[in-house]
Amino acid sequence: MDLDFIRLAVPTLAKGLGLTALLTLASVAVGFNLGLALAVMRLSKNRLVSGFAKGYSTVFRGTPLLVQLFLFYYGLGQLAFVRDNPVLWWIVGDGVHCAVMALALNTAAYTSEILRGGLMSIPGGLVEAAQACGMSRLLCFRRITFPLAIRQALPAYGNELVLVVKGTSLASTITVLEITGHAKRLMSQTFAILEVFAIAGVLYLLINLVLITLVRLLEARLTRYLPR
Amino acid sequence: MKLKSLLLTTFFAAGLTAAQAAEGELSIGTEGAYPPWSMADAAGNVTGFDADVGNLLCAKLELKCRFVVQAFDGLIPALKAKRFDVIISGMSITEDRRKEIDFSIGYAELANMFVAPKGSDLAGIEDFDSLIKALDGRKIGVQAGTTHAHYLEKNAPNADLKTYDTLDQMQIDLASGRVETAFSDVSALDDFLAKPEGKDFQLVDVKIASSSDPTLGEGIGVGIAKENTDLKTRVDKALCELVADGSIGKASETWFKTDISRPCQ
Repeated sequence: MDLDFIRLAVPTLAKGLGLTALLTLASVAVGFNLGLALAVMRLSKNRLVSGFAKGYSTVFRGTPLLVQLFLFYYGLGQLAFVRDNPVLWWIVGDGVHCAVMALALNTAAYTSEILRGGLMSIPGGLVEAAQACGMSRLLCFRRITFPLAIRQALPAYGNELVLVVKGTSLASTITVLEITGHAKRLMSQTFAILEVFAIAGVLYLLINLVLITLVRLLEARLTRYLPR
Repeated sequence: MKLKSLLLTTFFAAGLTAAQAAEGELSIGTEGAYPPWSMADAAGNVTGFDADVGNLLCAKLELKCRFVVQAFDGLIPALKAKRFDVIISGMSITEDRRKEIDFSIGYAELANMFVAPKGSDLAGIEDFDSLIKALDGRKIGVQAGTTHAHYLEKNAPNADLKTYDTLDQMQIDLASGRVETAFSDVSALDDFLAKPEGKDFQLVDVKIASSSDPTLGEGIGVGIAKENTDLKTRVDKALCELVADGSIGKASETWFKTDISRPCQ
């Protein structure tokens, strides 16, 4: 390892840090809400609604993220009506937007499964008690079911967040210059593969350490009633 | 019989540093997705100018060719890791690459050009200076790890460079309008213009010769691992003969409609 090279490479790769963070935040923001909706749909008594959520989760969890990215970016980009529609082309035409969409739809599927587990763990008696107090279904969901479900699902959801961060590296295959994109470019300029990807790995590790710490703090706050 | 194979093994272990090479075989790393240089079909058969050069070289060296298909930006790392003996993949000889691997003599060279939609402002540009100026802030497609990418990183630092793993991906984005122009060698662009997706595109009439900038290299060469000096001597000699007797020129005419061979010095 060459110290001068590392001094040059760290700022170059750090340029991708912002975009990696943006990809993660945007796709988690969209994906969490979508996943919550899908989890609620999944538990619906209407078979059509729950069937749709089940099918969605099967398709998006059953295919690799890279395949989904290529389908959205190169596949949809070939369709004339997508290119002629300004809204669709705004999403598909740009590498970053397209990556956010693919990551969000992908994480939504996993999030829905995680939240479904959380929602199903709520004892029926709690919901009945809330209803007996005169809470509407929405109020009961907001005050009782959802907070408890999140508390149950948080450890598993933290895992999913880490997977999203790592998933953003695939965006480099559709021209997005996040950490891995910069790393690949620097690799082809310098051929110092070991150094470049070791630095990239450390950057991902740092992001995930911060993320895991935040999730742990949140978890500790939500379970502060428990004896330590 | 046993003694013979033992002798052969000893000979190869001592004589050839490319330890993984099977006896009497030359393994060739090539991209396989860069027409008309190197095209691999679904069955793994490689055709194109690179394949022809490889086969000519193998015949001259009396070795059996084995092609290994690998993305372009991974070719040099793979050669260094001894995944194959040589790279034949339309690879330009450049200073940066020379730091990593050795090259044979340059046996071919091509001009580099931009392609743009017909009737666009870029398409009408005819001199080099206005072209470089017009690239500012524009989305340009290039293939990752190529001399073209390095040339633009150096000469058009304000351009919005989009790098692609393969040429096909770059062409798809050119056709869909995600990039406004693309920079490559004439052969690759001609290939695009001949496709249905390329019918609304034209070359920008500014030829950028490989000799005009060090990032564009010193012609196309065969990549060889640094420690493999014995192989390099043999490849250089064989290539020189193949250029001199016109075999490489003839092969290039099949694929490029013109002789792109570079005289052996």
